[in-house]
Amino acid sequence: MSLLEIIILLPLIAALAIWLGAPARTTSVGVSVLNLIMVLGLLFQFKSASVGKSGFAFESARTVLENPSISFGVGADGVALIMALLTVLVAFAAVWQISDDKPGIYHIASQLIAGGALGAFLCTDVFFIYAFHELALIPTFLMIALHGHGDAENCRSVAWKTTIYLGAGSLVLLAGLAWVVLEFSGGGQLTFDLNALRAQAATSPLPADKQAQIFLVLLIGFGTLVSLFPFHSWAAPAYATAPTPVAMLHSGVLKKFGLYGLLRIAMPLLPQAIHVAWLQEALLFMLLGNVLVIGLVTINQKRLDDVLANSSVMHMGYIFLGLAAGTEIALRGAVMLMFAHGISIALLFALAGRLRSQIGTLELNKLGGLGAHAPAFTILFAFGAFASIGLPGLANFAGEVMIFVGSFTNFGSAQFTSLQWTVVLALWGVVMSAVYMLRAYRHIFHGTASAGLFMTDSSLSQRFPLVLLAAALLIVGCCPWLLLGLIKSDLVAGISAAAAH
Amino acid sequence: MITLNHYLIVSGILFALGFAGVIARRNIIIIYMCLEMMLSAANLTLVAFSRFNLVDGLPDYTAQALVFFTITVAAAEVAVGLAIIVALFRSKQSVDVEAVTKLQG
Amino acid sequence: MPDQETSSLPTLLLLLPLLTALVILLGNKVLKGASVALSVFSAAVCFIISFILLGTQDSSPILLPFLEVGKFRIAIDALIDQQSRGMMFIVTSIGLLVHLFSLGYMKEDEARVRFFGSLSLFMFSMTGIVLAGNLVMMFIFWELVGLSSYLLIGHWFEKPSAAEASKKAFLTNRIGDFGFMIGILMLFMANHGDVSFLGLKSSFAEGPLHEIAKSNTTFMMLAALGIFMGAVGKSAQFPLHVWLPDAMEGPTPVSALIHAATMVAAGVFMLVRCSFVIEASLSAATIIAWIGGLTALMAALMATQQNDIKRVLAYSTLSQLGYMVMAVGLLAIQVSGEHHEAGPGHPAMFHLYTHAFFKAMLFLGSGAIIYACHHEQDIWKMGGLMKHMPVTFATFAIGTAALMGVPGLSGFFSKEAILGLAFEVKNPSGSPLFWVGVGTAMLTAFYMTRMFVVTFFGKPRTENAHHAVEAPIIMIFPLAVLALLTLISPIGPVARLLQAMEPKHAENHPTVMIASIAALIVGVGAGIFLYRGKDKDPLNIKLFANKFYFDEIYAVIVQVCQDGLAWFVTGLERLFVDGLVARLPAFIATRLGSAARVLTGGQLQSYTFLLGAGVLIVIYLVIFVLPHLGH
Repeated sequence: MSLLEIIILLPLIAALAIWLGAPARTTSVGVSVLNLIMVLGLLFQFKSASVGKSGFAFESARTVLENPSISFGVGADGVALIMALLTVLVAFAAVWQISDDKPGIYHIASQLIAGGALGAFLCTDVFFIYAFHELALIPTFLMIALHGHGDAENCRSVAWKTTIYLGAGSLVLLAGLAWVVLEFSGGGQLTFDLNALRAQAATSPLPADKQAQIFLVLLIGFGTLVSLFPFHSWAAPAYATAPTPVAMLHSGVLKKFGLYGLLRIAMPLLPQAIHVAWLQEALLFMLLGNVLVIGLVTINQKRLDDVLANSSVMHMGYIFLGLAAGTEIALRGAVMLMFAHGISIALLFALAGRLRSQIGTLELNKLGGLGAHAPAFTILFAFGAFASIGLPGLANFAGEVMIFVGSFTNFGSAQFTSLQWTVVLALWGVVMSAVYMLRAYRHIFHGTASAGLFMTDSSLSQRFPLVLLAAALLIVGCCPWLLLGLIKSDLVAGISAAAAH
Repeated sequence: MITLNHYLIVSGILFALGFAGVIARRNIIIIYMCLEMMLSAANLTLVAFSRFNLVDGLPDYTAQALVFFTITVAAAEVAVGLAIIVALFRSKQSVDVEAVTKLQG
Repeated sequence: MPDQETSSLPTLLLLLPLLTALVILLGNKVLKGASVALSVFSAAVCFIISFILLGTQDSSPILLPFLEVGKFRIAIDALIDQQSRGMMFIVTSIGLLVHLFSLGYMKEDEARVRFFGSLSLFMFSMTGIVLAGNLVMMFIFWELVGLSSYLLIGHWFEKPSAAEASKKAFLTNRIGDFGFMIGILMLFMANHGDVSFLGLKSSFAEGPLHEIAKSNTTFMMLAALGIFMGAVGKSAQFPLHVWLPDAMEGPTPVSALIHAATMVAAGVFMLVRCSFVIEASLSAATIIAWIGGLTALMAALMATQQNDIKRVLAYSTLSQLGYMVMAVGLLAIQVSGEHHEAGPGHPAMFHLYTHAFFKAMLFLGSGAIIYACHHEQDIWKMGGLMKHMPVTFATFAIGTAALMGVPGLSGFFSKEAILGLAFEVKNPSGSPLFWVGVGTAMLTAFYMTRMFVVTFFGKPRTENAHHAVEAPIIMIFPLAVLALLTLISPIGPVARLLQAMEPKHAENHPTVMIASIAALIVGVGAGIFLYRGKDKDPLNIKLFANKFYFDEIYAVIVQVCQDGLAWFVTGLERLFVDGLVARLPAFIATRLGSAARVLTGGQLQSYTFLLGAGVLIVIYLVIFVLPHLGH
């Protein structure tokens, strides 16, 4: 059994064990730590690991079906490893902060989401990529419906909305994937193996316009999962309602699956699609909706969880911008921002969860003065908030600046294309995100606390995983080359090279 | 002279009357009786066909045998059907079919 | 290749304050008072390093890697030349003095560890700006000084006014940075991905940017204005000037260091660094010069009616920054419009340099006064402080005289250089801007006299002023050193060493000299005449006292354009996006569902009817339709 398979299956086994009666917290935290160590080990090995022709290291495959050819294949390149690192980091923090009085289902759900996400990121077979993602979605729906915040009716309706949206998105996605498989299965036999599909796409590429049509279907499917405007309206209520570990894992990790899927499946197979004018402009239009419309919506929010939930939707626009630009710098920036956003939003949701459980309200108008009472909490929140504002020195900035710079690579030109105009407008979103984040920060931490509405710092051990997240933001922010250096030959380079043909 | 068509028309009218009763009436007993009427219409058709389908100058007795079958099964069915109606009446205190909407999705 | 010899000192200079800030952040519980000492120590080491750097050669070493993707790379590199060496010396010397002053001023503050940690963070970011060898790196530290300024203005965050002021400062700067980033991106694109200052400079001399500057003037103008927008935010130029006066909510040493001497001057520093961009576009240069002049005049007018001692100084800072920006624009006009070679040094940098010392001294002096008067900041509640605080009085007098431009003091020379430049420029903008400058000089003399007279002369107007005593030695010492620096700064060798700009006597322009001295005499005379022995302000100009109602106008704009729009868009989003994508399909599905529901009402009879109808249809089809299909 290869290490990657163990990494994927371990959380799923842990979930099963907890369901069968194993001590929830011990098992859950233990497995998360183990996974964290294994992924870190892989990262260190990766530099020296042998990379196959397809760009994957640590490959292995078990055949499940001969015809159509489906196999449980795993493999990792730089991007997959970065996403795996994100998953294990966030999963570790998420299960650590589940308090002891919560039922075991919290741990089961968290482990299922983590395992599903790892499977989706590390598999090399389209069938399993899709299946693992669906597996991770189910606990999300259940946890929102059963243990969400707010009254039961609201939870149920939010859970329904999320289920229907994501279900519909997954259906469109399924159609798109089927199309891809049908188009690129060579030799008269259907295959779901990504490498085989890519080989076929490389030898006999489709005409650009057809690529764009398939890409559009995939974009709508994956885009719904990532809350691309205008398919986003499930996301904000879902995150505001979901229990803290689920909100952390879904907004931080699982939502990145849609982007990862575009990077992993859509862009390598359909490299020219994004450079087809109508598709690129449609995507630019939609992502501006994310940045500007949702940015304004976020400014209008009155509760911290709503602010965070909407801001998470808004920031997806920047990652889509990286994809829309399609240059190597921008794509790497998008990967960087996926990682950075995952860490920062998970940190913020964890802190908001603690705030809710300690004070009982997240209404910005009622809070205040926590900066004096809980300095460590304040500093951690500041890390998350300033990271999502895009302050240099924290990871998000590195991703954003690479995306912006990568969109301005028609060198020597003195004309703006629609891409560059989009960047200019999206830059205004950076100002807006400062507006709502600082507003929230001002309301929560500055001024003086109202009677009864204050809290003190938690113990050092409770803070530990959050400090880990903040440290990750700082380290990656100051030394983005650490993360970039990890990627020696990966699909990002391949995409931009293929598109250049 | 009475031909096959006359029998068939009578049986058709009988069937239509029965069917209309089944659809339109609310009293479950009447519906049941209409149901029996539809069965009789079918039986009449069978007998009529048997009478006019001469094999070597004799009627086709297979069809008449089928009619006997139908009548016996219908007798058994009456027993079961009435039992159901009684059970229904016990639970609903009514013989009105509008009270029975268990099949609603 | 990074040369070990040239890169180790700047790297240490950059990283030492960062490490200090990190150590204080992580270890403040353990270190307690020692972290304060650590912060002061690191400031002292930085000062020594920058002193050593003054004697080194020009170089551009790479300090640390940052981003590298294929051919594209951005590193943390340094550009060490005359300009950055001099600026570094200004930053670290004033930084060290402010650290020392804060030891006294913040002695009783409970959160002084946080204060010193933020100061170290500021020293780190400011060092980064000064050393920066490329635009992206400058942007990085540009934002980081914004953060440290945010933390320090909001030091007393329990006070709502301080919390609001810090937020306002950060957001206003963000608006400026929006333009700055666009400018950087435009240059990045036009110059094939090279944004280092040296690369840009050579490209403007003869390269792709040279071509674009000739062929596409609009592009160049927008790029230059984008870069300038960064400076508008950081150096608080009109129309983004509103944050600086509010920033006075921060502790006074912070106002001296960040909001008078160094950070706000970073905008000017950056413009001088990028002067080649501005020189490439005459229209941008004209706009910049006019915005500078406008800010200078407007801020001076507002300063004449302020009663808070720190606010008077803040508006004076605004006004002087306007002067510097005007000089940047004017020099660019001169170079680009008239094919004039720029001389060594830059009048804007020269003014920045002289201004940094005397304005820091004025702010620290006002800090000493505020400290002595138990945190009273209203000048009308002071008075007669000359007798109580002789050293502060003497240093304040030197600073005031230098700011007003009394001949022989530093401010006189640097102001002369700018006025002389305005006088020389033969562009239609030159002459009006010259008179704007003279008018500002007169107003400066007037409001400084007003403040000086009201604060130090007359009788003490309150108990606090009556019992004021001289500040402790740890606060007096920095004042004295700054006074000394103010006095020696215009001397030739010192000025050459620090800014490569010799005080240029405007001998060839007697008009300039006469005009500026006349402005000084009129301003001081009017000030003394109006304010000697007064207990309350004889003038009452609402428009100036209320800062031309900018805050009110902006509040309305924010409320309407931002919050109103946000509210409106949220409604629209609910209505249309959620409506069209979610509610409409849901509505249709529900309708269809209830239509289908009629068919499945649970009535056995309706099922039977449907069955019968179905059978009829089938029979009809089989008998009447199917046989004819073949034909």
